[in-house]
Amino acid sequence: MKIRTFFDLERIRAKGISFLFPGKLKISVGMGSCGIAAGADAVYEKLSETMKTVVPEGILNKTGCLGFCGEEPFVNVSMPHKPLVIYHRLLERDVPELLEHVMRGEHYRQKVFCKMDILENFMLPKALRFGDGYPDFPSIHDTPFYSKQKRIVLRESGVIDPESIEEYIAVGGYASLLRVLENGSSEAVVKVIQNSGLRGRGGAGFSTGVKWDIAHKLTSDLKYIICNSDEGNPGAYMNRGEVESDPHMLIEGMIIGGFGIGATDGIVYVRTEYPLVVERLRQALEQARYYGFLGKNICNSSFSFDIHIICGAGSFVCGEETALIASVEGFPGRPRPRPPFPSENGLAGKPTVVNNVETLCNVPVIFAKGAKWYSSIGSESSKGTKVFSLVGDVKHTGLVEVPMGTTLKEIIYDIGGGGIDGRKIKAVQIGGPSGGCIPSHLFDLPVDYESLQGSGAIMGSGGMVVLDEQSCIVDVTKYFLAFTCGESCGKCIPCRRGLEHMLYILDAICDGRGSMEQLAELMEVAEIVRITSLCGMGQAAPNQVISTIRYFKDEYEVHIKERKCPAGVCKSLL
Amino acid sequence: MIELYVNGVAYQAREEDTVLRVLQREGFDIPTLCYHEALKPFGACRLCLVEVVSGGRSGITASCALPVSQGLSIKLDTPDIVRARKMLLEMYLAEAPQSQQINELAEKYGVTRTRFVHADTSASGSRCVLCGRCVRVCNELLGLGAINYTGRGVSTSISTPWHEASDVCIGCGACAYVCPTGAIEITDLPDLRIMETWQRTALIIRNCKETKQGIATEKGIDLLYKLLPDLPVYLGELSAEARRTFIATGMKLLNRT
Repeated sequence: MKIRTFFDLERIRAKGISFLFPGKLKISVGMGSCGIAAGADAVYEKLSETMKTVVPEGILNKTGCLGFCGEEPFVNVSMPHKPLVIYHRLLERDVPELLEHVMRGEHYRQKVFCKMDILENFMLPKALRFGDGYPDFPSIHDTPFYSKQKRIVLRESGVIDPESIEEYIAVGGYASLLRVLENGSSEAVVKVIQNSGLRGRGGAGFSTGVKWDIAHKLTSDLKYIICNSDEGNPGAYMNRGEVESDPHMLIEGMIIGGFGIGATDGIVYVRTEYPLVVERLRQALEQARYYGFLGKNICNSSFSFDIHIICGAGSFVCGEETALIASVEGFPGRPRPRPPFPSENGLAGKPTVVNNVETLCNVPVIFAKGAKWYSSIGSESSKGTKVFSLVGDVKHTGLVEVPMGTTLKEIIYDIGGGGIDGRKIKAVQIGGPSGGCIPSHLFDLPVDYESLQGSGAIMGSGGMVVLDEQSCIVDVTKYFLAFTCGESCGKCIPCRRGLEHMLYILDAICDGRGSMEQLAELMEVAEIVRITSLCGMGQAAPNQVISTIRYFKDEYEVHIKERKCPAGVCKSLL
Repeated sequence: MIELYVNGVAYQAREEDTVLRVLQREGFDIPTLCYHEALKPFGACRLCLVEVVSGGRSGITASCALPVSQGLSIKLDTPDIVRARKMLLEMYLAEAPQSQQINELAEKYGVTRTRFVHADTSASGSRCVLCGRCVRVCNELLGLGAINYTGRGVSTSISTPWHEASDVCIGCGACAYVCPTGAIEITDLPDLRIMETWQRTALIIRNCKETKQGIATEKGIDLLYKLLPDLPVYLGELSAEARRTFIATGMKLLNRT
């Protein structure tokens, strides 16, 4: 059944609303990778078995990741005209107790985390209302973890069923695409994105509008839009959560982007280590094709476009756009010199726009609410919100979405709840292996591209690892350097030999064999690797060393001069 | 014609030029290893670095792959580049300690010692710098692909699939011809050419009917006639000496000596 008009879309939207608000008991289990890792699949199985006898009229389905991953498994219970009640840490053994309460129209208070009265979705003129009631359950917006967040990209994650396109349409999905195609101007699409100020969410923060404009202006028989879902930074899993919970927002964003640049095909390059992402995306693509959002003459327009999934093969450097393109072409994932840039000369020599998952996920809402609205959020240079994976030595861990410009202090203390067991937080590692450590005395720093770069770290894709006094900065640096060294493709000598040499020195320091001369040499080699490496991976790999020597030189010196590890981590120095 | 600036001085370039081509044409001494005029730019060796000042994305970049553009302004031999080049050459000394060309190149820029660890044989042998010229000539120009990069990081080496003797190698020797560091060894016996570096892949040599000298490998001659079927037969049958004798005899017969 092809959707061609807003009338058609409205019909499916009504269907989706009846799925979201079925007028009877509905239980949704959070089935993102984080939930499943915590035991959600067993919870789902148990519910599936027992609901049949205990509450046979009830509906059971899946939902995605609510974002508070440290509190998984999450289970949402919806009763007609009542707020959605969200349970946390609900394990298989808690299911009988839960159902005993639910079948009586009550709730298992011990396990209730919060309630949700309305679903704020930013895509529809009016929010969707679950219902009123439960005055003694805290509203999700009043909980410390959620109150300071602004969930735009994650607006319906953990609430809608990621395996239902109808539910996505119910919350306003695909209306932006229809509007864009009805308007018919690809120039207008590029202009909106330029005006919104959207910047690449993969780490470099390049203007998305400029990138689309370059490709849009070129005439070519073939053009490609590639979604980079190779998310390789250790500790970063924002893209995973985004696609597992809401695959259609990525698809809609990609189709709009494809239309804007005049692409003939779209490719999502997913790392092989994300099988659930691949599964949900494949299913979502089939659903999109069924409704005519992909394929020939989409929604009665002259625009034909389809999206293909290509999986990576375990190489971190394939997150770099030229290596990614080489991999898609069937070659080993080794980067190529830029210039020429992929927007001009990319896949098979054709204009190719490579965008991160989160960048594209921002697109539908920008078209729903407008560029002006979007650019009113965030800071002067960095518009919109950013999703961070807040992990490490912090009380509340999970996926956090805040407006750009929010300070590190707000994220780590207000949202994250501060240190565990009252331990003092020493630093936060941002940007993964290409990033750096920011010491706690700089936590008033606003999180935006320029401020972070000035501090010696980078925004990166959004990984935020909190380190307390039990973490050794030198050891953490060694960890990240061992990672990049192992992932070096080997094509250029500075990354191949330079990182290895830097690792020798760090090993020596952690082993009590280091000298101050070696520390100076570590900086010297780091500088050269940074300016001479062929690709962004080699250029950024030394950041970790450079930033930690800048802010934590004393910790290095204690290791070298006193042969001691203040955090008690480096085994040889205990 | 395009005008670009090198150290503040204007130079003319053609639209299809790369910056390195212009620099070489104008007589600048830019060190290179992976660059070869017959191959697409690769950007691996990092020796041809220049600094873009304006007219493009600023920063240090490889000139072999940098396309010229109107008004592009670059600087050569900035303090950063001079310092970086010295350390890169230290790395090359550790990568290929046995290569005479690498030792000479390093010395030219004042580098005689290296702080980097010498592998006694780096994964690809003690003369290979992994510039990829051999790989590119075999893949890009000959379309054979007998050799390629294997492994990753410091364990990268250039070899045949599964490090086994190759059945697609034709023994043309183009790889050795383009190698800048003398890393590829070939032994020519009367009837056999042995590609020592490629797991001792052995190719049968066709000998001249008249002089018994080697002409080329059987596989090489086969490929030549496959690509150029109208080539005269005698080119594959007679050595150069025999052809000279043949032509001289013929000329004599026709009283045209």
